[in-house]
Amino acid sequence: MSTPVVTVHETVVGDGTTTRSRSARRWRRARLPLALLALLLTAGILTALPEPQTSTLTLAPDNPADLGGRAAAQILGRQGVDVRYVRTIADVEELAGPGSTLLVVGDYLLGDEQIDVLDETEADLVLVDAEWAVGLLTPSLTSSGGFTDTPEVRSAQCEDPDAVAAGTITASGGLLSTGPGAVVCFPAPGASTDQGGAYGVAESDGRRVVAVADLAPFTNQYLADEGNAALVLRTLGRHERLVWYIPSLDDVGAGGGSGPAPGQVLPPVVQVVALQLLLVVVVIAVWRGRRLGRLVTERLPVVVRAGETTRGRGRLYRRGRSYGHAAAALRAGTAARSAARLGLPRSAPAPLVIDAISRAAGRRPTDVETLLYGPPPTDDRGLAQLARDLDHLESEVHRT
Amino acid sequence: MAVTWRAVVLAALGLPVVLVVPAVGTVLLWTLLVVVVCAVDVALAASPRQVAIRREVPASVRLTEPATSTLTLTNRGGRLLRALVRDAWPPSTGAQSDRHRVLVRPGDGARVRTVLVPTRRGDALADLVTIRTFGPLRLAGRQASLTVPGRLRVLPEFASRRHLPSRLARLRELDGRASVQVRGPGTEFDSLREYVIGDDVRAIDWRATARRSDVVVRTWRPERDRRVLIVLDSGRTSAVRVLDAPRLDASIEAALLLAALATKAGDRVELVVYDRRVRGRVASTTGARVMASFADTLALVEPELVETDWPGVVAQVRQRLSQRALVVLLTALDPSAVEQGLLGVVGQLTERHQVVLASVSDPEVDALRTARDGATAVFDAAAAERVGLERAAVAVRLRQRGAEVLDSLPDDLAPALADTYIALKAAGRL
Repeated sequence: MSTPVVTVHETVVGDGTTTRSRSARRWRRARLPLALLALLLTAGILTALPEPQTSTLTLAPDNPADLGGRAAAQILGRQGVDVRYVRTIADVEELAGPGSTLLVVGDYLLGDEQIDVLDETEADLVLVDAEWAVGLLTPSLTSSGGFTDTPEVRSAQCEDPDAVAAGTITASGGLLSTGPGAVVCFPAPGASTDQGGAYGVAESDGRRVVAVADLAPFTNQYLADEGNAALVLRTLGRHERLVWYIPSLDDVGAGGGSGPAPGQVLPPVVQVVALQLLLVVVVIAVWRGRRLGRLVTERLPVVVRAGETTRGRGRLYRRGRSYGHAAAALRAGTAARSAARLGLPRSAPAPLVIDAISRAAGRRPTDVETLLYGPPPTDDRGLAQLARDLDHLESEVHRT
Repeated sequence: MAVTWRAVVLAALGLPVVLVVPAVGTVLLWTLLVVVVCAVDVALAASPRQVAIRREVPASVRLTEPATSTLTLTNRGGRLLRALVRDAWPPSTGAQSDRHRVLVRPGDGARVRTVLVPTRRGDALADLVTIRTFGPLRLAGRQASLTVPGRLRVLPEFASRRHLPSRLARLRELDGRASVQVRGPGTEFDSLREYVIGDDVRAIDWRATARRSDVVVRTWRPERDRRVLIVLDSGRTSAVRVLDAPRLDASIEAALLLAALATKAGDRVELVVYDRRVRGRVASTTGARVMASFADTLALVEPELVETDWPGVVAQVRQRLSQRALVVLLTALDPSAVEQGLLGVVGQLTERHQVVLASVSDPEVDALRTARDGATAVFDAAAAERVGLERAAVAVRLRQRGAEVLDSLPDDLAPALADTYIALKAAGRL
């Protein structure tokens, strides 16, 4: 090409927008997503606000269901008792000391370590539904070994002031007194306290150990029945502080085990540095995230290979096991090319072609006839053999 | 709004500060510092909308040849313009590097050049020009994408022009200008000249020799001012990809070579691109303008996924040609398509005109035909063999109806068509 014709286009200044129109457009574009985001946030806050978290754990102080203990915990809280709900023995160790009450609910998840800690604490113990632990924590009380069944109305029948104040409770289960100073109350109806009661109290190592065989009096469901409330509130409200301990499965034990959390080991500067690094990452994201103009697109041409139809046809032959068709095609191709090479017209009859090819290749006419017009092969191997033989024949024709 | 790597460095510079005063407040203060400094930098940056942009781009360029899109930027604002400019073009225009840094004083101008090496035929439209200006600290800046129109027409490559010199030499052999003279039925009397040693004694004009004292020979030249009509089929069969390019591209190469050759030979060449309607046409141009208008028309031809309307083609040919002419059909020798379309009407063309059908064959089919490894390959070979036979059969039927048939590989089609043209011219069959 000689000097190309250069088109000079009109000069462009700006895109006809002003700061005001751009901000108006941005606002128009952003307001719907912003409104949706605000709506989501409001809805989230509203659902999160009304109540502190509740659980479904049996006798937990934040469980409002029938089996929960929120009623008792809230009444105690209003009466000025500092209720601390804990799940790990480490917290128990930290919070429970002299002048506090330690409520232990259930003993299925207590291990030797936890029992040791409970044994050594100087707080008053209230063991609920913990027959096995009772025997370990005080020598004066033991479980009768019976299963707890449906709660029944029982009367105190003993001298303990708390029990007397309660009068009757709804409970089941049996605790036996095995040592001096231990008092057992609330035997089954028609039985005496010697045969076991739902409530036992003993002094050991200078602290008070109260055992209640059944957790029914403590539950939201039964707290208002009979004298349950009196017994529960008197038992748990003896001190300023109540540590409400429900053992958990993932409690690794007191002190030992995995050591302190990572956050406590690292120096405090690490967290601040991490925050600064976050700032750096955000700036990098803004730096790399802004594209220099939009992506340019264009239509792409059709991409279908010319050989596709031929291959498709080959697949059809193979799937249909059409050895006859395939062999016929191969033979016709060889015959046509050989005939053309020998100067025969396309319309030449078969005997003429056989004769010419056999003479050119130096083969017997019957061999050539079998090869070109014989029966079709019946399997893959036969077809491959035929193809090779035809190639061979064609190359011989080529030589002459 | 956009920030640079310097803003990242500024944010990272807060790390030693935080190590000295490890408090969350330090981080917050540093964040505020980064934000404020960047905001000040943005506020001090020149406005990208106060830059006058003028684009200069060649009207057309041949495929695979470089073209330059030049943007002239004039700073009409009052601030120093430090900017990164992107001149965006579609990917197939092959822009080498479309990002440019410029530094323009107020009232001054700068020029940025983007070299384009197109890889696809057709019109390429320039996309947006994006200007990102930076503040004095180059921490952050403003960005705007502006519509600056620009169009580059990418003409066909015409790679087959390398065959042109040899074909023109052959043409001159037919012509009286060369020392070797060929006299055939396709030639007409040109002039008389003196005999030189080496001339064919049969060419001596005895009557003229008798009138003069010298021995005089007749010279001949091929017939001139014949008409050639190239019909380019842009139907579905032209969209098929052979090797790396659509079949249409090989047909375009062949059309260009034939047009160049026939124009040089003194014939009048016309072009019709047709599938179900006329997609492009070149008619009644002569001389140097022929090649330009051919390239311009063929640049925009795209395959359409429709079946070609052959009776429509015949109607077009009838409308264009009143006298006998050479009609070149650049299409595909696709057995089923030809049987249903062209075969029925080709007779109407051949009875009045010399018809040449040129088709691009697929080297992949040849490769399939000779493959022998495994049963699948043999079945494919049988299919390829069958396809070849059907093509040959349909070619025979077309020849029986009086058409010349060419079936060549993509690279060979243009020279083969040129040779056919020369042969027909030498034989006086135009």
